[in-house]
Amino acid sequence: MSNAVLAGRALAKTYLSGDRRIAVLREVSLEVAAGESVSIRGESGSGKSTLLNLLSGLDAPDSGTIEWGGAAPAVDRRAKFLGMVFQSFYLIPELNAEQNVLMAARMVRTPTAAARARTKELLARVGLAERATHLPAQLSGGERQRVAVARALLNSPQLLLADEPTGNLDEQTGNAVVELLLELCRESRTALVLVTHNAAHAQKTSRGLFLHEGVLR
Amino acid sequence: MPWYFYLALKQLFPTGRKFPFFTAISVMGVALGVGVLVIVTSVMGGFGYELRRMIVQTDGEVQVKSRAIMDDAPGMLRTVRAIPGVVGATPYVAGPVMVLANGHPAFPMFRGLDLETVEGVANLGRFIRIGRLQDLDDDAVILSTEVAQQLGATPGDSIEIYSPLLIEKLKSDEIFLPRRFKVVGLFEIGHQHLDSTTIYGTIRAAQELYGLGQGAHGINVRLQPGVTEDEAVVRLNRVLPPGTQAFSWMQSWESFLWVLNLEKTINFFLLLFIVIIAAFSVMSSLLISVVRKTREIGLLGALGAKPREVALCFCVQAFIIGTTGTAIGVGLGFGVLAIRNHLVHGIAGFLNREDTLKQFYQFTNLPAHTELSDLVFTVVAAIVISTLAGLLPAWRAARLKPVEALRSE
Repeated sequence: MSNAVLAGRALAKTYLSGDRRIAVLREVSLEVAAGESVSIRGESGSGKSTLLNLLSGLDAPDSGTIEWGGAAPAVDRRAKFLGMVFQSFYLIPELNAEQNVLMAARMVRTPTAAARARTKELLARVGLAERATHLPAQLSGGERQRVAVARALLNSPQLLLADEPTGNLDEQTGNAVVELLLELCRESRTALVLVTHNAAHAQKTSRGLFLHEGVLR
Repeated sequence: MPWYFYLALKQLFPTGRKFPFFTAISVMGVALGVGVLVIVTSVMGGFGYELRRMIVQTDGEVQVKSRAIMDDAPGMLRTVRAIPGVVGATPYVAGPVMVLANGHPAFPMFRGLDLETVEGVANLGRFIRIGRLQDLDDDAVILSTEVAQQLGATPGDSIEIYSPLLIEKLKSDEIFLPRRFKVVGLFEIGHQHLDSTTIYGTIRAAQELYGLGQGAHGINVRLQPGVTEDEAVVRLNRVLPPGTQAFSWMQSWESFLWVLNLEKTINFFLLLFIVIIAAFSVMSSLLISVVRKTREIGLLGALGAKPREVALCFCVQAFIIGTTGTAIGVGLGFGVLAIRNHLVHGIAGFLNREDTLKQFYQFTNLPAHTELSDLVFTVVAAIVISTLAGLLPAWRAARLKPVEALRSE
């Protein structure tokens, strides 16, 4: 797959637990093309989040290589290239919904009128136009996650990594969030890697993978 | 605005919260330290400034003194007036005397003034509370309010003055009777030392009391605005005869000014510790913030923040606290200075200690004068110290690995 947005090759990661070395990932390889959505499932502790951390460049593999659009991951490129959605939302409590979304643009440069307009557009798209000025504490879990989705997509990234984005939500809200995520990624041809426990959510992606004992199948 | 500056502002003044309590506590710590520094340096500066004002308005900026008696005072006066930058010169005779009135003694300095020239040098008129300088003649004196109080004398009363010449005459079996003067006025300079030790009369009366003939003890000199005392002293000393020398008011009061300056410097550095303690409180609250916001710091890394920018976010918070606290502190300091006399008199009056205040602090009102250099130094020191307080939290925040920070509970 030559036009891969994301390519991880022969990734390995080992953790020390006391005197024991635990190999969490062994020779994991993965490529994701533009507009493709890939789900990764696996038991708890199987290394899904570790893999996502490596792919996002937040952690370094013990061996193997990662490429973002054919180049090595770099902090300078992260804000533009990559969007991330987490299980715990991670909104900044001092900022309202609109300001939280706009924070992604601020990481690149001072927000332009276009970025502000896109923020409004994305908030409307995730159904929170009326709640733009509400603080995270005033939003429900589903609403917070929708703000996080809007934030992740604000800079029109080529890749979106979602780490169990429905883990803290009820089934109905979780389904709505995943539908929204897939729909928005499809529209903007953003590659999506979705880590999830939920088989139904995984089935909605274009490719499903399973991580077991450090090996991706 | 860079994101770290924006976020620093938002963390200190969060959206939707009217009163940022934690920020206010940190800011007030710095503000109190700066306020106290401004007040103390201004009051200490005020003592020096008031002293200068009083000395210059009573004695001029420069004094010409002779080791012996200045026998040719008129000739010396002409020499002094010919110096460029000198706009007024007046001879004087000054010495201790004993005064008796209503059976009460006092031992002030008798200062003999040349009424024709004194107003060209000294602005004594503004200190006279009862009477006028023009009321003086060779048989009249103006007493300071303190001396008048000691003697129980009021304008219109008669007083007797005994000079040291009396003792000299007694040695040669001569009788020298005390001079009788009429009190024609009262003055109050506002400096306890001057107010408790001075009476004014004419130079002829003083010459008579000291047996000086036409001689004088010295010449007070007023300078043209813009001419410095040091400059004038150099010019005068070039033309004055041996044994006669010019001194600036600072040289005459050198020791006292040195002590004042030393007190001011020591107070400044001692009180700077209040700002340092406030800075520790800023550091502590920012360190708590780093711990409390560990996951947010991790998120910033995930959004693309560089460690340097994360560090800057906390340094900026310390800088904003320092700057805001310093601005409020300067305002607070000047506010208190504006009402200082009401406060001091209120406290002294409440404790019934107004006389003690006057006796030990020399001034009837608490002086204050803020030197621009002192203010700039205070402001810069407070902002720098507060900003430095942000370095440790900033360093800790920058060291956090996003992946670990996001995992933290």
